[in-house]
Amino acid sequence: MNNTLLSLTIAILFGIGTFLILRRDIVRVIIGLGVLSHAVNLLIVSTGVFDGTTVPIITDDGGHGAAEATGTVFTDTLSQGILAPVLEAGHHVQYVDPLVQALVLTAIVISLATTAFILILAYRIYEEYGTTDIRELRRLWG
Amino acid sequence: MIALEDHLPIILIATPILMASLMVLLRKHPGVQKALSVSVSFILAILSVLLLLQVWSGGIQAYEVGEWGKYGIILVADLLSSGMVVLTSFVSFLALIYSLDYIEEKSLSASYYPLFSLLVAGLNGSFLTGDIFNLFVFFEILLLSSCGLVIANEKGGVTKSSDKMEATFKYLILNMVSSIVMLIAVASLYATTGTLNMADISVKLSAMSAAGTLPWHVFAIALMFVVVFGNKAAIFPLHYWLPDVHPTAPSPISAMLSGVLIKVGAYGMLRVFFLIFIDTLYIFKPVIIYLALATIVVGAISAVAQTDVKRLLAYSSVSQIGYVFLGIGFGSVYGLTAALVYLVNHAIAKSMLFLTSGGIIHHAGTRDMRKMGGMVDSAPFMSMMFLVGAMSIAGLPPMGGFIAKFQLFDAGIGEQYYFAIAIALIFAVFTLFYMFRAMLLMFWGEKRDVAEHGEYSTHGTSPLMAVPIVILALMIVVFGLYAEPLIALANATANQILDPQPYIDAVMTRVVR
Repeated sequence: MNNTLLSLTIAILFGIGTFLILRRDIVRVIIGLGVLSHAVNLLIVSTGVFDGTTVPIITDDGGHGAAEATGTVFTDTLSQGILAPVLEAGHHVQYVDPLVQALVLTAIVISLATTAFILILAYRIYEEYGTTDIRELRRLWG
Repeated sequence: MIALEDHLPIILIATPILMASLMVLLRKHPGVQKALSVSVSFILAILSVLLLLQVWSGGIQAYEVGEWGKYGIILVADLLSSGMVVLTSFVSFLALIYSLDYIEEKSLSASYYPLFSLLVAGLNGSFLTGDIFNLFVFFEILLLSSCGLVIANEKGGVTKSSDKMEATFKYLILNMVSSIVMLIAVASLYATTGTLNMADISVKLSAMSAAGTLPWHVFAIALMFVVVFGNKAAIFPLHYWLPDVHPTAPSPISAMLSGVLIKVGAYGMLRVFFLIFIDTLYIFKPVIIYLALATIVVGAISAVAQTDVKRLLAYSSVSQIGYVFLGIGFGSVYGLTAALVYLVNHAIAKSMLFLTSGGIIHHAGTRDMRKMGGMVDSAPFMSMMFLVGAMSIAGLPPMGGFIAKFQLFDAGIGEQYYFAIAIALIFAVFTLFYMFRAMLLMFWGEKRDVAEHGEYSTHGTSPLMAVPIVILALMIVVFGLYAEPLIALANATANQILDPQPYIDAVMTRVVR
């Protein structure tokens, strides 16, 4: 996994998201929030690559016959003739934590719901105020 | 029959979620909705008290959702979380009764009941969960349902819907940014420790700290949690959404937001900092204290200048949550006890004041206090109740607020935080001033200029609106005159917070299959 490239992508996405949030147009702010939440999703996925020692995968099956921790996971490497989940003996690959992908799935669904809600809200604000300029939203001031 | 007492934590979360979907299906039958939601809310209040009694007598309870041991989601009921659940269930039950007569019928049956149930589910869930990512999920449930509820229409329509949208927009944007920050913090914490279970994280971080290998970025993560919970609780640099959102929400929802929802921030602070980041606390205690002092000062000064009754109450909430955080910042048993007593008393008094302000707004037809006056003759009930609430918030002797403030200042002096206590005392005088300024403007003095502003409405307070207010007012007086049980409970809770070992044992000794 090319972690430098991944980190760079995440950083650039964070930058773009922050820039868009600071704009005056409501729609750009919302797009910025979307970009930011995807940057966070990438960040979560990037935490899922381990060197094999700290992964929360239970390798022991609870005493029903010893299951040896083989240190193998299911990664396709077609050039070596490995097709998941069938793995030849003796192959040792990097762990990829499955939990973070469940977390990202949850985070994506949540950000979908929030974005849907805020888009509807932005549309109603446009109807009420006749503008998408965020500086015009100042009726509550004072 | 399944043993009810074994499954209380999940029942308290699952029942409101089930109710939310049932309420959507039943929207053509408002009568059924009303009876069902009120009775279920009442049952939940009783069950939450049962849970608290169980935890009080039987120790911390861990409930596995899905039998995965510490690798799955665990619900943990200790004294702090079950106490907060009791507070939530109680305030939400009273707010629900109040809203039956307060919210417009159409809005009530189409969206209000389901969202209210979801809000209760989110609150109970975030108090009971023992998994930090699950906490994030429940925060989002809270956020979305409360946004929907802020927009709900009340009868009479004093607040314009454009105001509500503007306030909700601010609330949503700020809270989305804070939930992004929370996700970053959770992801980094997971990358550091390889687990999401709060007790497990605590064990691993303590081990790292004992070995002297606590990574520096743990401090950054802890700072992110300060931002997240500070935003939920409206702590000083992040409080700007609160004075817009709480006044524009319908009064029962303001009561829920001010009474319970901002306490989620205080709860998160207590849970995360005293369980997970114990070893970083020596840096963050002063940070919390100074943020709390800034919050007290800014909230109190802003509240003095307000002319809108609900805006005044909202700024007062900002100021009062500062006192709660001050107690958390002291970090001793006595300080935490004081913070918890303060939290409960403020929740009850502020919910009651917001409910009362709903009645006042109905009566006067405006939220502007300059357009009121002399209402003690036309609305004696409201003025009585407002006086009780105002006395409690200001901290005058027979009410619960006095006990809370006394304990907090006593704790601070005992811990030799003289500067903090001096500032807190000066601004407690401000509290007294702004609460009684509101009292004078609204109830005493001349009756308002009828030719310019119109007569006060003649219909009296409906019983469904009066009963919750009276119950809360009675509780304020009871907590003031007979404070021993509450203080004992708060003291036991504070001891439990400061000694996380039983919590960790209760979670970690599960059988892993």
